[in-house]
Amino acid sequence: MSDGFRILEDLIRLTNMRHGVIASNIANVDTPNYKAREVKFGQIFEGMELKATNPKHLKNSYQDLSGEIVTKTTQEGVDKNNVNLDTEVAKMTENAMLYQAGISMLSIKIRMFKNALRR
Amino acid sequence: MNSFIVFEISASALGAQGQRMNVIASNMANAHSTRTQEGGPYRRKDVVFSSVVLDSCPGEFKGVKVVDIATDNTPFKMVYDPGHPDADKDGHVAMPNINIIEEMVNMMMASRAYEASVSTFNMSKAMFMKTLELGRL
Repeated sequence: MSDGFRILEDLIRLTNMRHGVIASNIANVDTPNYKAREVKFGQIFEGMELKATNPKHLKNSYQDLSGEIVTKTTQEGVDKNNVNLDTEVAKMTENAMLYQAGISMLSIKIRMFKNALRR
Repeated sequence: MNSFIVFEISASALGAQGQRMNVIASNMANAHSTRTQEGGPYRRKDVVFSSVVLDSCPGEFKGVKVVDIATDNTPFKMVYDPGHPDADKDGHVAMPNINIIEEMVNMMMASRAYEASVSTFNMSKAMFMKTLELGRL
């Protein structure tokens, strides 16, 4: 139908996964030897081009957005734990806003299709 | 990924920090207890946290659990107080190895971690409520 749904689906899926990872970092803020992790997003905009009906047109080839969980290598404290509570809370807020933006856009997209069907 | 994992993770952190708070409260309350059931003055206790994979969680999402309540074996503080019933023949009393300042700092850290988990919980709830709105346009 349209790549928009796939892009939004991936965005929502990955921000949800990132929320889980941030939640486990916050839960383990005082656990000795725990290493903070983060979700690195793949290249969402790589090759995100428009449909080509003419060789001069740009191409549209959306690839699934991938998320990779990596261990952070920031400065460790004496208990060999490298979770920074302030950073994690800030990232959680940012991530939740991104998630809600994804949901809002998906909602608008569904409304657009509904309107188109009604007329 | 089970969508409700975040709630379990936050709940495990709230439980663990709550237990830490109990231990700190017990340390503070017994800062001057010279007699215990085990005999001798009260010894400071501390919680040991460990990250755990929760039952319904895949490996990447870890909760936290109190695996042990350890006893601090640092020496007792010797206070000169000849009038105390537990004073030895030189007039010294063995007082618990508790430093109130240290306990206060621990308490603040526990409270901050607890608050962070509460806000994670609320944030997760807000995200889910927003998702539920998708159905009703």
